[in-house]
Amino acid sequence: MVLKVTRRDVLKVGAAAGALTAASSLFVGRMSTIRAVGAPKPDLQLTPVEEWVPTTCWIGKQDCGMLARKIDGRVVKFEGHPANPKNQGTLCPKGQGQIAALYDPDRVKTPLIRTNAKGVEGQFRKASWDEALELVAERMNEVRKRDPRLLIWQKGRSKAKKFYDEAFVKASGAMKIGHGAYCSDAGYRALEYTVGTHAVLHPDFKHTKYLLSWGWNITSAGGNKTCWLTWNQQLDEAKKNGIKVVAIDPRARPAGPFADEWVPIKPGTDLALALALCNMMIQSGTIDEPYLKEFTNSAHLVKADGTFVRAGEGDEAKEQVWDKASIGPMDFGKYGNDPALTGEFEVYGEKVKPAFQVFKEHVAQYTPEWAAQKCGINVRQIYQIAEDLRKHANIGATHVVDGVEIPYRPVGIMTYHISQTELGFQQVRAQTMLMMLLGAMGAVGGTLSDWTWKIHKGYAGLDNISITEEPNVYLKNSKYYPINSGNPSIMAQVMVDPEAYGVDYTPEVCIIHMANPMTSFLSQKDIYNGYMKYKFVAVIDPWLSKTADLFADVVLPAATLEKYEGPTSATDQYVGAQTLRTPPMDPLFESRGDIQIYMDLCEKAGILTGEDGYLDQVNKALKMDDEHKLSIDSKPSGEREVFDHWAKSAGYDGVEFFETQSVDVTGPVSAKKRYGYAMDEPFGGAVHRLYGESLLGYQNQMKALDVEEIYWRDYTALPTWREMTMNESPAEYDMNLISFHMIEFKQSRTSMISVLKELAPKSRADINPATAKAKGFAEGDQVIVESHNAVTGETRQITVPLHFTEGLRPDTLAIPHHYGEIAKHPQTEGQGATPNTLFFTGKGYTLNTADQSFHVKVRLLKA
Amino acid sequence: MPKYGMTIDLDRCTGCRSCMVACKIENNTTQNAFWMYVFRLEEGKFPDTKISFLPRPCQHCDNAPCVKVCPVGARYKREDGIVATDWDRCIGCRYCEVACPYGVNSFNYKDPKKSQYMDWEDPDIQVATAGAVPSWANPSLNEKYGSENRSIAGSNHIKGVMEKCTFCVQRVEKDMLPACVDTCPTHALQFGDLDDPDSAPSVAIKEKDGFKLLEDRNTQPRVTYLGSPFGPGAREIERPSVKD
Repeated sequence: MVLKVTRRDVLKVGAAAGALTAASSLFVGRMSTIRAVGAPKPDLQLTPVEEWVPTTCWIGKQDCGMLARKIDGRVVKFEGHPANPKNQGTLCPKGQGQIAALYDPDRVKTPLIRTNAKGVEGQFRKASWDEALELVAERMNEVRKRDPRLLIWQKGRSKAKKFYDEAFVKASGAMKIGHGAYCSDAGYRALEYTVGTHAVLHPDFKHTKYLLSWGWNITSAGGNKTCWLTWNQQLDEAKKNGIKVVAIDPRARPAGPFADEWVPIKPGTDLALALALCNMMIQSGTIDEPYLKEFTNSAHLVKADGTFVRAGEGDEAKEQVWDKASIGPMDFGKYGNDPALTGEFEVYGEKVKPAFQVFKEHVAQYTPEWAAQKCGINVRQIYQIAEDLRKHANIGATHVVDGVEIPYRPVGIMTYHISQTELGFQQVRAQTMLMMLLGAMGAVGGTLSDWTWKIHKGYAGLDNISITEEPNVYLKNSKYYPINSGNPSIMAQVMVDPEAYGVDYTPEVCIIHMANPMTSFLSQKDIYNGYMKYKFVAVIDPWLSKTADLFADVVLPAATLEKYEGPTSATDQYVGAQTLRTPPMDPLFESRGDIQIYMDLCEKAGILTGEDGYLDQVNKALKMDDEHKLSIDSKPSGEREVFDHWAKSAGYDGVEFFETQSVDVTGPVSAKKRYGYAMDEPFGGAVHRLYGESLLGYQNQMKALDVEEIYWRDYTALPTWREMTMNESPAEYDMNLISFHMIEFKQSRTSMISVLKELAPKSRADINPATAKAKGFAEGDQVIVESHNAVTGETRQITVPLHFTEGLRPDTLAIPHHYGEIAKHPQTEGQGATPNTLFFTGKGYTLNTADQSFHVKVRLLKA
Repeated sequence: MPKYGMTIDLDRCTGCRSCMVACKIENNTTQNAFWMYVFRLEEGKFPDTKISFLPRPCQHCDNAPCVKVCPVGARYKREDGIVATDWDRCIGCRYCEVACPYGVNSFNYKDPKKSQYMDWEDPDIQVATAGAVPSWANPSLNEKYGSENRSIAGSNHIKGVMEKCTFCVQRVEKDMLPACVDTCPTHALQFGDLDDPDSAPSVAIKEKDGFKLLEDRNTQPRVTYLGSPFGPGAREIERPSVKD
């Protein structure tokens, strides 16, 4: 077969989808010729036998498409799959390096059972799968029978949510707890509440002309919704189209040469900058009035007590706006009204103002000069951003996409992990509101959130929380954290003293899947104390993670990428696609695929078959059609059979489709799905909440329940600046600590991989040379970093070598979060500390949404 | 006969070092040996700090000083532009290493089996991989290449032999891109026939101003850098555990 396809062509095919996609997925695009996947190379002699088989990356956040080169059945290399829209034939260093994870002789090879006490370095004996699974099933069932709340399922990165988060959790009745409170969940909550979408913020790279890269680690980490690689490919294209990028970040290294301007903001002060920019947009009249009037609650009339004026009773009550035509109140959204955004009016004998007027008055205090002082930046940079936003927003302009005329506001924000700051929930609300003022949310070229504009259940849910005084173990719907992202560190603190929080139980059994709380979560001391309370812990992991080493009673060895897993979306936000991980080889050693492990475990626990059993739940989660449902009476022969049923139910010939083609590119995502404005009912009918009436309502309820101010102070209707708790630490704690992500690693599950570890072998603390010299330190010096808790007075220490960089604020110390001897493994020995040891959980360091702040004051001491 | 060359667009490189790892896996290079290396550079004082990245493969010079000094003809220039090292003939004198102004040569001091990262004696892994060291050992490296039929793809990194980037001769001869180019997420690296005006690197050179490293040495590299160069005050940051 001779087809002249250059890689450039293949990339076009990958992006354009359509008819050529099926053909392109058959081939590996190369210099000038291509080769059929799975077929021996035409020019290769008889031995050795070479074949290329599809699989997907397992290391990262998204499962990029890969091809495994196999020689005589042995995988020798992974390369990017050209047809997968997410990576278009390329791979990041982790994707390339994971072959060393696959063959790692220091993986957990057999099931292990603990033989010593918990809380110290583990001693384990090898066990059979039967013995290990029976033990887990027995302990799991014992608590399920007594009180299902005692069973916790703890996950990190979930690679097959339908099988784990849905089917297993439902079949077992376990309480699920994730990792989002350390990731970006404060941003998720802010967006769910404010506009209804379940994601944070990203630009529409095909059309955006001006980007605030707000804490986005462009060169070294993922962004909202996708991995690093996909975003960088889109930014690369956008740069060719002349996008201007402003990096708002204490470090210069993340955006590097991709920033046209660097705004070295002081850690944790982003809310101040966002509020000042909102003020400047309003002051200069750079606002999209039609959007604000029609699609937001900006015109809702607000009474002196902070609640909306409503007419009618109960569920029939309608928010009132001031109708300029009839000079009186009118139901919001009533056809033909022209509501006032500004002014003061008298309604039902009470002085009222539109929410926008309240906001305008509220942000008037946040001047650019004030923000420059709070953020530690040059005020001229703030004026420049405001000017650029005004220039690029194009308020009133439209653009036709897919034949639909849609508002065009080519200004975008990418913001993701920096939601995890002390004021993060309100900060992301303020960032979103800045875009709302410009009418840029959901506009072409504007700021988007989820892949498609879907309204999440949190939009209504977060507005109607019933606060309970008997919360669950992570304090869901509690008077402390009414909006709640489920923080395992808070849970750990509650487990140590449940009565203090009104919790009447302590979980006893925990199944930890692809998570390593002891190094990747914080604060480690709380995690340690909490996890010591578990009576039984089972860990599903390819490695003996630090968590497993300290706490696991049983370790079940999971395969790495040599398993079936999925299905997974392969969209790059512009093209829809679906993929499935197919194994390039059988699971190594005695490891098993995770889905197989759950089937085996459920079988032992007697919850595999029958109605509401695991298989029944899998059928429901995967929405299997009647013809292809798994039998709920007998165990499938393996993962492959399960996916064969799913694939047929989803309209493919069978799992073979993915074993040969890897990815199904379904075509462009339509404008009507992408852009909130373009939906049949714009923004899915959600009224965007500039004004957070219910947030203020929660504050009032919390006060009535005698909750301390430190918990309720950020439940304000409008984002409100306050001084950060950490700044109450004594003056000798003179530096701000932040943590950061390096492109070589993925959280705390890769620094044991030899060929990646080699690139960045040890932990380090980045410091500005001037600061270090003033303190008497030279580059490479080992220093003690000591953090201070401004609320409790507790201090914590790590020792780490200094690494000099001029690309860092002089008042800030930055430590990568990938180390801390993440697993019992020869490659991790001597790698050094993680900053997660230094951060704190609880009052002042946990957000109002129970999310985790990654900021603390530290000082440096001679080691 | 094509005349191969590479372009490296510094405006597109994110410094991710995926090329370094792809090279390592493809060519089975030993611990601390990087045939492709990416410098991460910083210049200027806070807040006027500039970050840049510089991938550095062998420059495959047309006037290669390493070729001139090789006393045994192990280092030689191929007709297609690749500067190759015949490991069958190399005597390990290291003259090439001294002569090269780019620092791309790498000498095998150790038994390669002892510097392949992990304990491949592990019996379980031996069963799984038929004793390959490393487990991802690429048999293509043992084949002979070119009309001259020489051993130039690196084999298993024999002790006492000098080696460097081969432009992935084992791939290029099969019409595949070098591993570094193939994996580059932002397509900063392009490779192809510089005599073909439509090849990817020829097009890239036409579209953007470029330069070559140490042009004044008259080495005539076949690697062209495009985009903004780093300044004279640049210093390396985030140095991995490479040999000093």
